[in-house]
Amino acid sequence: MSHVYTSVGWNRQKKIYDSTLAVGIAVYLGLFVGIGSVVHPNATIETLLIRGFGTCALLMLHIILSIGPLCRLVPRLLPLLYNRRHFGVMMFLMALAHGAFSLIQFHALGELNPLVSVLVSNCRYDSLRNFPFQPLGLVALLILFLMAATSHDFWLANLTAPIWKRLHMLVYVAYGLIVAHVVLGVLQSETNPLLAVTLGVGMVVVLGLHLLAAWRERALDAPSDATSSADGFVDVCAVEEIKLNCAKIVTLGGERVAVFKYDGKVSALSNVCQHQNGPLGEGRIIDGCVTCPWHGYQYLPDSGASPPPFAEKVPTFNVKIVNGRVLVDPKPNAPGTRVEPAKF
Amino acid sequence: MVFAHWVINLAMAYAALGFAFAIAFVFYGVGRIDPAAKGSPLMFRLLIFPGAVALWPLLLNRWWSGHTSPPVEQNAHRKSANSVKEAKS
Ligand code: HEM
Ligand code: FES
Repeated sequence: MSHVYTSVGWNRQKKIYDSTLAVGIAVYLGLFVGIGSVVHPNATIETLLIRGFGTCALLMLHIILSIGPLCRLVPRLLPLLYNRRHFGVMMFLMALAHGAFSLIQFHALGELNPLVSVLVSNCRYDSLRNFPFQPLGLVALLILFLMAATSHDFWLANLTAPIWKRLHMLVYVAYGLIVAHVVLGVLQSETNPLLAVTLGVGMVVVLGLHLLAAWRERALDAPSDATSSADGFVDVCAVEEIKLNCAKIVTLGGERVAVFKYDGKVSALSNVCQHQNGPLGEGRIIDGCVTCPWHGYQYLPDSGASPPPFAEKVPTFNVKIVNGRVLVDPKPNAPGTRVEPAKF
Repeated sequence: MVFAHWVINLAMAYAALGFAFAIAFVFYGVGRIDPAAKGSPLMFRLLIFPGAVALWPLLLNRWWSGHTSPPVEQNAHRKSANSVKEAKS
């Protein structure tokens, strides 16, 4: 939104979210080191911390990756998505602590620059059993850093949402690297196979949720098979099919369009929120404004413009109602163009 | 071995240049390329610091070429809406 940036726009919900996270992390690390020192009485505190931070980051990454598809499948969970960036930054800090401790523990003693040492201390790239798993962790950490460093809304605005999202899609590359880092690392160390088994379960959960959500979405992105009339307007649905203050989502003009019904009127706007490209059509009309389900940005339904002082604008579409059917012109109007709502 | 040295040295040089740039950027440049950053608190400037170190060529380019506000995103709807507008004008 257009205003002066703050460091973090704190509110009650974010404070609760972040305190829950911080407590969860502290409890996890406490339990890990506590139980670890009983089960492995010979392990040093450094080793326990390295493993504790690493597995904590791994667990957090699984939760982060599951939140997205979970919220698409169960909209009630949306509050989890609301502050996911803080979750991501904390996960990065855990991974950073793990990487930094490992660098100090295993690579800081010799003459070599520790970073060079990570790359060259094991060069058996031809062996699966002894594969140098640490460089994989280093590259993953670099990706997590880029994501954490660009998590502020400033970056979203200055990179623009589509590019920012593509950058943050690298999380899947990082995930793959980390899985390889852990699996190959476990192969080499004496650690408990429990970790490998848990990781297997985690991967199945993450992959399964993604496939399920993608399968549910598939239908939405099929080009609309609705009939178009002579003037190019496309018949999208009957007025009764749209719930009051909600939208029907259809794909027109190469993107999704949200057709809202409210207050005896119907308006159509691009489904893509200008903030993080959240799905506007899954939001509701609140106080007369289309309200994005992800972080609450608001747009006037007839013009697609955020109410002043905000400056976000999304494209709008001409609509009309004929014999109880909603017809939408698939040609978008320039963002923020007011369109007379169709009345019913 | 030699190659690994090269990679790390190159990365360190990139980060060092980025560090120097980021100091100038978070205190002067950021307000030039994004009006919403004018008069923003110190904490905001520190938060964007690491990203400015990492993405300095991009920011330098925007600052250098005199952009005074963030770009507007492009997607299928926006592109075809813009072409309609151009067609009209
Ligand atoms: C600079 C980057 C990294 C270095 C040098 C590094 C180094 C290591 C080392 C030496 C181990 C074996 C520890 C042991 O068996 O005692 C390990 C294990 C592990 N690493 Fe990393 N790592 C890095 C990045 C990461 C990242 C980004 C993650 C993200 C989640 C991660 C997650 C793990 C996990 C879960 C383990 C298994 C812990 C265990 O054995 O119980 N590492 N790493
Ligand atoms: S995506 Fe963040 S408010 Fe819409």
